[in-house]
Amino acid sequence: MSTDKAFALRGVGAAVSGAFALRDVSFELPTGYVMGLIGANGAGKTTILRCLLGMRRFDAGEIELLGRPVPGPVALRQDVGVVLDHTSLVGDWRLSGVERTLRPFYDRWDGARYRRLLDEFGLDLRARVKDLSRGMAVKLMIAVALSHRARLLVFDEPTSGLDPVARDELLGIIGDYLVDEGHSVLFSTHITADLDRIGDYVTLVHGGRIVRTGTRDELLEAYRIVRAGPDELTGLIGVELIGVRQNSIGAQALVRTEEADLIGGHVLIEAPTLEEIAVHIGARAPRRNREMA
Amino acid sequence: MSAVARMVLLDARTVAPYKIQGLVVFAVCVAVLSGNNPAVVVPALVLLLTSVVSAYPFVIADKARLETLYAVLPLPRRAVLAGHYGWALTCFAATVTVGTALSLVIARVRSVPFGGHTLLTSLTLSWEIFVISIAVQFPLFIRFGYSRISVLCTFLPLALIMMAVTRLHLTIVTFAALLKWLPLLWVAGAVVLAASVTVAIATDRRHVP
Repeated sequence: MSTDKAFALRGVGAAVSGAFALRDVSFELPTGYVMGLIGANGAGKTTILRCLLGMRRFDAGEIELLGRPVPGPVALRQDVGVVLDHTSLVGDWRLSGVERTLRPFYDRWDGARYRRLLDEFGLDLRARVKDLSRGMAVKLMIAVALSHRARLLVFDEPTSGLDPVARDELLGIIGDYLVDEGHSVLFSTHITADLDRIGDYVTLVHGGRIVRTGTRDELLEAYRIVRAGPDELTGLIGVELIGVRQNSIGAQALVRTEEADLIGGHVLIEAPTLEEIAVHIGARAPRRNREMA
Repeated sequence: MSAVARMVLLDARTVAPYKIQGLVVFAVCVAVLSGNNPAVVVPALVLLLTSVVSAYPFVIADKARLETLYAVLPLPRRAVLAGHYGWALTCFAATVTVGTALSLVIARVRSVPFGGHTLLTSLTLSWEIFVISIAVQFPLFIRFGYSRISVLCTFLPLALIMMAVTRLHLTIVTFAALLKWLPLLWVAGAVVLAASVTVAIATDRRHVP
């Protein structure tokens, strides 16, 4: 077990339902960085997060979190802040009551910091949880996580449903949190624009499997977008077309960079955006064009 | 503070926003019961109030998805489960304390005899009602969640208690005939409650320990 990694998953498998399972999930994040876990709805992002946090059992592989195995001692949760897509707090609690309720559970709870953060985020201590907007609720959960001095923040779709201003604020807060080199962030999202601003690492998940993991630049370098006439992407030998989108005007697909060199003719080859990579991989399972032929 | 005590406190804070409603229900119960024999006040309060208040954290937990909070907090799962039972015992103790004081006041005002034996019998009956109610409800709430079986859990203990009262023609007077068995009934209740905790832990497969 090492402490230079915020977390590591190695060969993790978990049966979720008869039709869906995590299979051989392996990726890791060095301490001090932000990783975005991207994929379509139902790709397995939340299940991976729940396995990482010890909130659900996994059947195969091993997970290491802040240098400790998962499932591990509950004290490990002192160091992890979790911001899910719902608040999981009693709606009738006032924000002052949230502090009174959660403080006894954390050894390093800093009440002054909690109140200062709420003030910075424009949240009123007298407000009730149920009266907060989605963006304010996310800020509250971040304030809670930062008040117990978590070393790793795990977000599940934090920017989903937020307006652009709230998203920008949230990304700024995450950026501030990372000023401390010992802090790391993992967040799942299907809004890839968030990663353009703060994502150091990206892991792409599809159908319960990891498609690609690495730095954001490595991921962008790994693929190319090819655009051509309606029938010009058929008959390519040795090239895997990923998520082909075709209409009467033309066709577009994602290919691996090393395979892009094999494509000739009137095919336009461009560097993709993260969104294009996510869309094409999420659109359908990869298939070999030679199998199509 | 132990993990179980912190969980009891969390349950208390979970229901705290609804204390006004709880006090109103309590006041109605007291108003209705004050015209009755003081010996039935504590058992009736336990039946009508404790069972509901003890289970209320499960109602709120379902609504506010507190199971996620329990999983995120640095708290062993067993402490969560034991804490729910601890909260129920706290409610029972509070009800019995207030109910006993109320019984004594009613007995004094209405000049009804209310001796130690009657009180002891009343408390024992209250304990058995509490145990049956909690021992049946909690493992089901923990295994399935409140919303999925709320009707079953609300009526099953009540039906069991009513059936026992009817079939055995139980009243405080007949129950008092069992005076020498009262300590055994307390112990039996504790054993049943401990068994319920064990069943709850064993069937709590939804969560990582």
